Amino acid sequence: MYRRVDGVSMSIQRRRFVAALGAGATVAAAGCTGDTTDGETNESGSNGDTTAQVGVAGETLTLTTTTSTYDTGLLDAIHTDFEDLYGVSVDAVAQGTGAALESARNGDADVVMVHARSLEDEFMRNGYGINRRDLMFNDFVIVGPEGDPAGIEGASSATDALTTIADAQAPFVSRGDNSGTHTKELVLWEEAGTQPGGDWYQETGTGMGEALNIANQQGAYTLSDRGTFISQRAEIDLTILVQGPIEGGPEILANPYGVMAVNPGVHDNANYDLAMAYIGWITSPGAQDAIADYQMNGEQLFFPEAISEEPDFQQYVPEGWQSDSASE
Amino acid sequence: MLRVTDVTHAYDAEPVLTDVSLAVDPGEVLALIGPSGVGKTTLLRILGLSLEPTAGTVAFDETDVWAADTARRRALRRRTGTVFQAASLFDASVARNVEYGLRVRRPWRERIRSGIRGLVGGEDAPASVRDALDVVGLPDAASRSADSLSGGEAQRVSFARALAYDPDLLLLDEPTSDLDPRNTAVVEDAVERARARDIGVVVATHDMNQAERIADRVAVLLGDGVTEVGLTEAVFDDPRDDRTRQFIAGELVY
Amino acid sequence: MSVALEAVGSALVGLVELPFRDGYVPSIVVVSLYVSLVAVSLSTLVSVPVAVTMGFLEFPGKSLVKSVINTGMGFPSVVVGLVVLFAVSNQGPLGSFELIFTREAMILSQFVLATPPITAISLAAITGVDDGVREAASALGGTRIDVALVVLKEARYGIATAILAGFGRAISEVGSVLIVGGNITSADGISKTRTLTTAIQLEARQGRYETAMILGAVLVVLVLTVNTIVVRLSDNGVTR
Repeated sequence: MYRRVDGVSMSIQRRRFVAALGAGATVAAAGCTGDTTDGETNESGSNGDTTAQVGVAGETLTLTTTTSTYDTGLLDAIHTDFEDLYGVSVDAVAQGTGAALESARNGDADVVMVHARSLEDEFMRNGYGINRRDLMFNDFVIVGPEGDPAGIEGASSATDALTTIADAQAPFVSRGDNSGTHTKELVLWEEAGTQPGGDWYQETGTGMGEALNIANQQGAYTLSDRGTFISQRAEIDLTILVQGPIEGGPEILANPYGVMAVNPGVHDNANYDLAMAYIGWITSPGAQDAIADYQMNGEQLFFPEAISEEPDFQQYVPEGWQSDSASE
Repeated sequence: MLRVTDVTHAYDAEPVLTDVSLAVDPGEVLALIGPSGVGKTTLLRILGLSLEPTAGTVAFDETDVWAADTARRRALRRRTGTVFQAASLFDASVARNVEYGLRVRRPWRERIRSGIRGLVGGEDAPASVRDALDVVGLPDAASRSADSLSGGEAQRVSFARALAYDPDLLLLDEPTSDLDPRNTAVVEDAVERARARDIGVVVATHDMNQAERIADRVAVLLGDGVTEVGLTEAVFDDPRDDRTRQFIAGELVY
Repeated sequence: MSVALEAVGSALVGLVELPFRDGYVPSIVVVSLYVSLVAVSLSTLVSVPVAVTMGFLEFPGKSLVKSVINTGMGFPSVVVGLVVLFAVSNQGPLGSFELIFTREAMILSQFVLATPPITAISLAAITGVDDGVREAASALGGTRIDVALVVLKEARYGIATAILAGFGRAISEVGSVLIVGGNITSADGISKTRTLTTAIQLEARQGRYETAMILGAVLVVLVLTVNTIVVRLSDNGVTR
């Protein structure tokens, strides 16, 4: 199929732009690191003055994100590097997927990081988010009681597993809160062609950790992100019955994270410079390595996705978007 | 000094006082006597310049009190002092209570200054406070707290509180009806000492024996105005009105 | 039930060894105290004069004001948080002050929460002062201000109770400070807008109930300490 030239060139330009930004950020970072790490004072005097050369120094970046992302502790672990690099501080606000996007929509955030592709797409389509990048991924798992009353263990299809649970009317705990996890769960039900409902299906409206506790107490199944499950594994009696793609399970259980800047064209108070510095930094090789190195209870939680030799145009636009598509 | 003329007062439809005329001079004790509920307290408040009568004039030192402006009226009111039937002391020390009248008559700057001084290191009670406490027989009570006083002591402190700033007119509303004979005697003695200082004293009481003991003149209220005003002896020995005669004889019961 | 008792037990043991980074717990205590104390102080400055005015004056709409105050006492904190969020969000009327996700926004919402109880309880204390005291203060030559001061002094224990009630409401609420503050710490764990209550909420949503209980115990001890100090100070005033 022949692609329109401007469509291709736009995507290439955008990719080059972001790459250049990332490179620029890396260079700037290298420059700053060079000045500060050897501990010498430069012409400007004390170490503190070196960051005065960078335009965003002293500012605060407001990043809204989901509770499960924040609760892994990843952000607290890596943000110090970014803060030191630019002499800024990052206010990471863990609100939950829906609220994080809503804050960004209102202009109360500068950059937003969530893992709900359909909601991110809507966000972009409405003009609020720009310069999206794929960031990292982990996966979901379907967990349940060791006895596995519905008999879903080892299923190679997540949707089949859910259908089995629905048919058996085995207790299932849902987040019910428009979180990334809940969004994925709804996608699964839709793919399975089943409408969940009835006494066996419980929507809790709580965080992932609490939901796991509830499922544990009731011997119920639930969909969980791997990270939260790992951190709670020792305290509950649930076990992974359907693996995610990281351990060879179905691809549909992948959980990709995206990061977007708030469009300064819509909110002129958004700290766009700092947001782009952040996106540039977190998609840079250094930060991506740090993400891969982050472990919880001895296991790697996140798999970096931002850097690839092969082009990935889909990360910049809503899924399935094409410039000659009449429906967009 | 104080003259009320044709004073009528009604709280709603029914008048409580009708066409009352009275005068009080310095250095005399006037007793308002009559059964409870007849309007003694109302009349006392009118005499104390805190209640405006529905009709009639109130003149203090020849000034029509209620025709004057607020500041002038307040200045006149401040020359009076009232002791109520219930002591109503403030929750503080006796000294703080007694000096209240003095305190509120000082200019603000002075009050703030002495307030700060008081916080830093206690001040001695001013002379007039000690003197007032002497009059009521409680010379050593200054540093006691108000809630440590007995009923009789509290009423005596209440008297001292009204005396401390040297008012021209003192109004007492049934000051001893809740007191035992000993405390009653102390209060009556204090009334006498106030009279000796040329203070005009009005005492509302239902105790006729008390009226006979302490009052120079009495005004008898019997339900619709003052029936008789005159020298105590005259009224008691030879009342002009039949109702007065019956009241004094104890026959009138409302 | 047994889960709760287990948690309390381990919490009491855990009090000795707090499973947090250095400086984390002190920093959230500081934020909790700062936000609530400032909010309550500001609220007292407004509430007590309002209570005095209402205790002394009649004005049209007074019973409406009373109803509003009484309703405000039971108003859900999370709803107040939402209202303040709408106000301070970039889209709201106060958006240009950039208060969203700051301690100042938290102070604002706790001010709104603390004012009704402080006003209502102060008003009850003020109107509860014996009428005879008011009359005496006036008859002895006091101006309206003098009488008001006397009444305030008589009502001081009730007003102290009111302030404590307001403080209790402020420091133990979680709904509003979570929404307007964002529960933020810096990357090294020092709190920016995280209070004891929102920290408890964070632990609970991750299923870490024992840790949540430890923080809960810290909060209770804190509130108890403040109450004791205030009561002790008031008692010292009795002998004056």
